[in-house]
Amino acid sequence: MSGVTLSNVQKRFGAVEVIHGVDLTVDDGEFVVFVGPSGCGKSTLLRMIAGLEDISGGEISIGGTTVNDVEPADRGIAMVFQSYALYPHMTVEQNLSFGLRMNGKPRDDIARRVTKAASILQIEPLLARRPKQLSGGQRQRVAIGRAIVREPDVFLFDEPLSNLDAELRVQMRVEIARLHKELGTTMIYVTHDQTEAMTLADKIVVLRDGRVEQVGAPLDLYDDPANRFVAGFVGSPRMNFMAAKVVDTTPGSVTIETDNHGSARLTLPVRQAFQTGDAVTLGIRPEHFGGPDGDGTRLTVNVDVAEHLGATSFVYANMATGEQLIIEREQSRSEMGKTELTITIPPARAYLFDSAGDRIR
Amino acid sequence: MRATTRTAYGFLTPYLLIFAAFWVWPIIYSFYLSFLSTRVQPWTFNPTFNWGRLIIDPAFFNAFKNTMIILVIQVPVMIALATLLAVLLNSHLLKARGIMRFAFFAPVVVGEVAYAAVFRLMFQADFGVINKLLALVGVAPISWSSNPTAAMALIITAVTWRWVGYNAIIILSGLQSIPEDVYEAATLDKVSKTRQFFFITLPLLRPIILVCVVLSVIGTMQLFAEPFLITNRGGPGGATETLGLFLYRQGFTVLNFGYASAVAYTIAAIAIVISVINFWLGRDPK
Amino acid sequence: MRSKSQTTLLRTVGLHAVLVPLALIWLFPIWMMIVFSTQPENAIFSSNLVLLPSDQFANNFALLQADTGFLRTVFVSIVVATVYTVVSVFLTSMAGWALARYNFAGKGVVLAIILGTLTLPYFVVVIPQFIMVARDFGLGNTWFALIVPPLFNSLGVLFMRQSFSMMPGELFDAARVEGVKEWQIFLRVALPMARPTIAALCIILFLASWNNYLWPLLINNRPDMMTAPVALGSLIGLTRVSWGGIMTGAVVLTLPMLFAFVVLQRHFVAGIAAGAIK
Repeated sequence: MSGVTLSNVQKRFGAVEVIHGVDLTVDDGEFVVFVGPSGCGKSTLLRMIAGLEDISGGEISIGGTTVNDVEPADRGIAMVFQSYALYPHMTVEQNLSFGLRMNGKPRDDIARRVTKAASILQIEPLLARRPKQLSGGQRQRVAIGRAIVREPDVFLFDEPLSNLDAELRVQMRVEIARLHKELGTTMIYVTHDQTEAMTLADKIVVLRDGRVEQVGAPLDLYDDPANRFVAGFVGSPRMNFMAAKVVDTTPGSVTIETDNHGSARLTLPVRQAFQTGDAVTLGIRPEHFGGPDGDGTRLTVNVDVAEHLGATSFVYANMATGEQLIIEREQSRSEMGKTELTITIPPARAYLFDSAGDRIR
Repeated sequence: MRATTRTAYGFLTPYLLIFAAFWVWPIIYSFYLSFLSTRVQPWTFNPTFNWGRLIIDPAFFNAFKNTMIILVIQVPVMIALATLLAVLLNSHLLKARGIMRFAFFAPVVVGEVAYAAVFRLMFQADFGVINKLLALVGVAPISWSSNPTAAMALIITAVTWRWVGYNAIIILSGLQSIPEDVYEAATLDKVSKTRQFFFITLPLLRPIILVCVVLSVIGTMQLFAEPFLITNRGGPGGATETLGLFLYRQGFTVLNFGYASAVAYTIAAIAIVISVINFWLGRDPK
Repeated sequence: MRSKSQTTLLRTVGLHAVLVPLALIWLFPIWMMIVFSTQPENAIFSSNLVLLPSDQFANNFALLQADTGFLRTVFVSIVVATVYTVVSVFLTSMAGWALARYNFAGKGVVLAIILGTLTLPYFVVVIPQFIMVARDFGLGNTWFALIVPPLFNSLGVLFMRQSFSMMPGELFDAARVEGVKEWQIFLRVALPMARPTIAALCIILFLASWNNYLWPLLINNRPDMMTAPVALGSLIGLTRVSWGGIMTGAVVLTLPMLFAFVVLQRHFVAGIAAGAIK
């Protein structure tokens, strides 16, 4: 069984610490996605699991064995790289079989594995070609095929779709999901694209500045973000944040007043104790605003730009203070051209964060 | 030792061994030799013997003077010509580009001995083709081998013929790395072609021209085959004797290795000083 | 004001008015080399202006062969240049690979030394090299003496290093993850990918060895171990030799290189340019 366990894993480049004690358990057969903005350390973490980067502190184990000092090739992993990393001077078939040949695998075994991988990825007609003669999507398939022939316990993907155009990206995303279903192997996948993370993952690990911000199933992160960063990172378009102050407290609830939106008041159920005057942040997703007749606090905003996508519209409302709200509305022709819009904030859909960015529950 | 360090030195070792055996050791040994009296066996330690001789040796100063004359005349002329050639060869108006480039680059592959032989024959005083051609335009025969000035001119001509293409190749590759749109922008701003050359091309080429100058200086300091073969061992009467030839004589004709080592170190020192001055003069004005 | 097409025409004419005569002057010595090599001795040393080839190449070459045993020296040169090129390409690419793709203790020092030797005249080492090889080892007049001491070559290392460091690192990581050993990555992935650079390097190294004069002149004095340039050089300045013969030797040394230059001009130019642009 091949889960992956990270305990207190650290990485330093000289005096600079880039990974600060990461703990994580990846179960066997699980599809885990590392997501975060560029520079958050997600690729470094993946390369440490692969063995391409040394581990400065802590322990990584794969399938129950500590692998800190194990060569990449002996960790039972296979990796798919962002740039595909296909050997330009070899044919597709040679690319697929190179590692096996170099390790002295028997010829019929190699042939069997290559044939199988090629059929899984439907690249049989391309076997005699060189990478230069392939399209981006085909190269990506070959790169994945090269991982498959290793029959690894764990697949590692380092932003594999970021070099593809939007349409291909969706197509390959579905393909990778299908592959995971077919093989049932543990997969760890790095991306900066939260849509990829949401659609592919069994479990998402949100990273920022070398720390884990939150770990959880995609919908758990969406419904129940642990802090403002995760709340803003998961979901598209991103959650709206409004500065607010506590104006009244009772046991089990708090009433806040937004600073810049006509002093709208909102009462929310929270367990945490507050004092009047505390600064907080109110968060609400664009898709969770209610219409003028909805429940909750009513708010009137000036429409700056409206984008009509057909089924829905995104309304951008600029506040006098420079804060911007994005509001998702069901498409309705009657709202077109309006300069003012009345919306409501349903308390059940509102999130509160303290000044440090942590979620207030 | 870390694994990557071990691997890296695994790849470096053969190369470094050759380097240690045939460069590091000789450089140290050469320095030591320069303090030995090697005129007679057995060699004895005598720190002032060679260096003392060097600073008063008129033959050394003659070779030094000749080398400097060649350096001061030949290097600037050649670099200017190479720059001009590079710019002209880069012009999109040029026809038969391949043949043109071949004409100037071909000398690069011609060996020292082969070209020395041809030049010696071409510039032969009595039957040489150059004097015959000069006669056609009414110039009296020039005695290339017995007139000191003519012999020097011959060496400079030969070296320039051999090396201008080499420098032009380097400068041309520098030219080709200047983006075309810089010139297009200048043309739209009504900057003339000549001004574009002086205010865009030359400043951008400066680092590369500097490299050419330094390489040429080092090459000139070691000039050997041309005076050895074309002007018959630095003739007439030492008029084309260069530092390289002087060192060859001391080291391998007279077999006075100690003195030759002192000369070698002096050549290296002069080359390094001139290179440093060049880089200093050509540094980015910041 | 002149029209645009008139200006272009004037420029084109001016350009060729400068370049064509210069090109002819530059080709002239090579042309005369061929002319001399095919003319009988009495035509070279006559008072007539001879500018066209004749048919005496074979006779002249026979004279040269009689003077020096030239064919043997050409053979020596071919062997030396070939072995030198192959060994040197291996040494310099291995070193260039190490300097391009690994971080290791002492890397800065090694690089600084290699760069430093570029500005160091060869003359500083030639005397002790000679003493060491010829006197201390007693290896004058050997293949070893001709091939091994000149092997150190800093341009080659820098050239290969440049080429290797421009390759995407993920490629080698991919091989590492697949369990390919470092030396196999070098041999099977990096070297094949560096083929154009290696081609250029081979040409430069072969040419340098083929034309090398000073070192073989010093280290070999036995006729059967002389390289062709040394043998040819030994005739220049002697009185009773055939100049037509010497010219055939020059042609034999030069024409194959010129031919290679025409065919492989791109690689030649890349090799020379890369040497300086560092």
